[in-house]
Amino acid sequence: MDTSFVTRLRSSPAQASQSAFERFFREEYPVVVRIAFGVIGEAQGAQDVAQDVFISAFQRFPDPGESEHARAWVRVAAAHTALNAIRGERRRDRRQQLSGAGVPPVGPEEAVLDSESRAEVRRALRRLPRRAATVLVLRHNGLSYAEVAEAMNVKVGHVGTMLRRAESALRKELQYASRF
Amino acid sequence: MPHVSSSVLRRLVDEPLAVPDRDRRHLAGCDHCQTESAEAARDAARAARLLGASDQVSDTDLEWILLQDRLEAPGAARRPAVRVPRRLMNVSVGAGTAAAVGVLAVGVAAAAALTTVYAPTHVAPVTLSGSDLRAIENMTHIGTAQLSGELPPSGSRQLAFGDLSWSTAGRTQQVSSIARASAMTGLAFTAPATLPSGVGAPDNIMIQPQVTITMQFGQGAGPGIGGSTLEITLGPAMAVQYGGQSGGSRLTTLAVAAARRPVATSTGASASQLESFLLSRSGLPSGLAQAIRLLGNPAAVLPVPVPPGMWVVRTHIGGAPAVLVTASTAFASGVVWEGSDGVVHAVGGLLDREDVLNVARQVG
Repeated sequence: MDTSFVTRLRSSPAQASQSAFERFFREEYPVVVRIAFGVIGEAQGAQDVAQDVFISAFQRFPDPGESEHARAWVRVAAAHTALNAIRGERRRDRRQQLSGAGVPPVGPEEAVLDSESRAEVRRALRRLPRRAATVLVLRHNGLSYAEVAEAMNVKVGHVGTMLRRAESALRKELQYASRF
Repeated sequence: MPHVSSSVLRRLVDEPLAVPDRDRRHLAGCDHCQTESAEAARDAARAARLLGASDQVSDTDLEWILLQDRLEAPGAARRPAVRVPRRLMNVSVGAGTAAAVGVLAVGVAAAAALTTVYAPTHVAPVTLSGSDLRAIENMTHIGTAQLSGELPPSGSRQLAFGDLSWSTAGRTQQVSSIARASAMTGLAFTAPATLPSGVGAPDNIMIQPQVTITMQFGQGAGPGIGGSTLEITLGPAMAVQYGGQSGGSRLTTLAVAAARRPVATSTGASASQLESFLLSRSGLPSGLAQAIRLLGNPAAVLPVPVPPGMWVVRTHIGGAPAVLVTASTAFASGVVWEGSDGVVHAVGGLLDREDVLNVARQVG
């Protein structure tokens, strides 16, 4: 008989929290996937990161409406998980370099982007301090100063300083990379 | 007066009205701060250009379905958790307040107003006779000829149990390349590397933007259904048609198609209530009603309509259940399956079943 997750959600005592989680997902998913895309620069990878973030969020905040922190948590988790993903990419790049393997073919969505710029940005983000990279991707993917402050647990007045330093550091990293 | 702080110079880029007048006055007369301000603006613009994701396309409905699939999968609870370093964020979980409980109550009420009632994960065949098709036409007032391409981009029909309306995000159109179709639909498309004998190059690539169908049930439609709204989204979809090898013929020998799985949401009615409603319609042939009942879980099965007289075989493509249909003359075959990514694939042509399956295995 019907044992799908969807149906079990509606028939179980946890129905209310599951419905609340779907609502939370629908509100936050576009923000989370945009943050991940800002780091990874590729749709499929960003969607994978967003899925991992919400799997963990469900385990951590089954009733996201009861937590004051669920929204901030998924946003920082998106930045952090995406930054971890490009750290793994560095290992893959090195592996390919050592094995002499070519660059894997890109999908059509990636092909329309400037893949060279994306790769340079990912390398620069990998070298930046984690807090600097996080404030950059949060702010430049639609979060206001107040939302960045909430997500990173800092005062609003401190966001401008963090952002200025991070953007300056990003420029220096890109200038450094362009010399090679 | 000391120079304007870097924090204020940065905020000037995003929120100039939030900068105090005394800082503005200093900036107007200070070359050093003007230089710093210009550099802050350039750095901010560069970061926005490089890190912004304005071209990101995401389908929240599909991703919600995929998330449910993953949560449902055995071992989901043991997956490595995403962690946020404490130095980045120091939060305590479970600090619920009376206000938060109030928000939750409102949230539950809102969520209950819109629930996903149909999210198919696999395909299954349903044989449709000519009289079944006529019965569906009578119930929906939409003929099969209209469904095959003559339906206007938007419109509505008044049915016995409510109002049916539909709209599309754009017309069906021919595009220049598979990459273009893939980019426009957001569908990852793998073209078969090895084609069956007699099949030529792609000669027609089509896309169909997403279609949204809304059924507004009348108050008297039945328990749980009356007054509710059912919204179904179909697509986007793309299809690649291949010509013959001889070159002179425009005959399509092979077609490969992909589409996002259909998703339905309802403002109140559950999947089982909707199924009961559908099966109790007086115009629905009893044989078709029985076939729908035999599909099992109404929320998880995508029925593949099969004309009478075709041979149907259940098989697998890439581990996913598939429906293989062959004409009794064996001059034409087709296979339909749903991948784990929530994309429904179809391969068909004037080919025998082995050729169709060979192509399908390359695509899936």
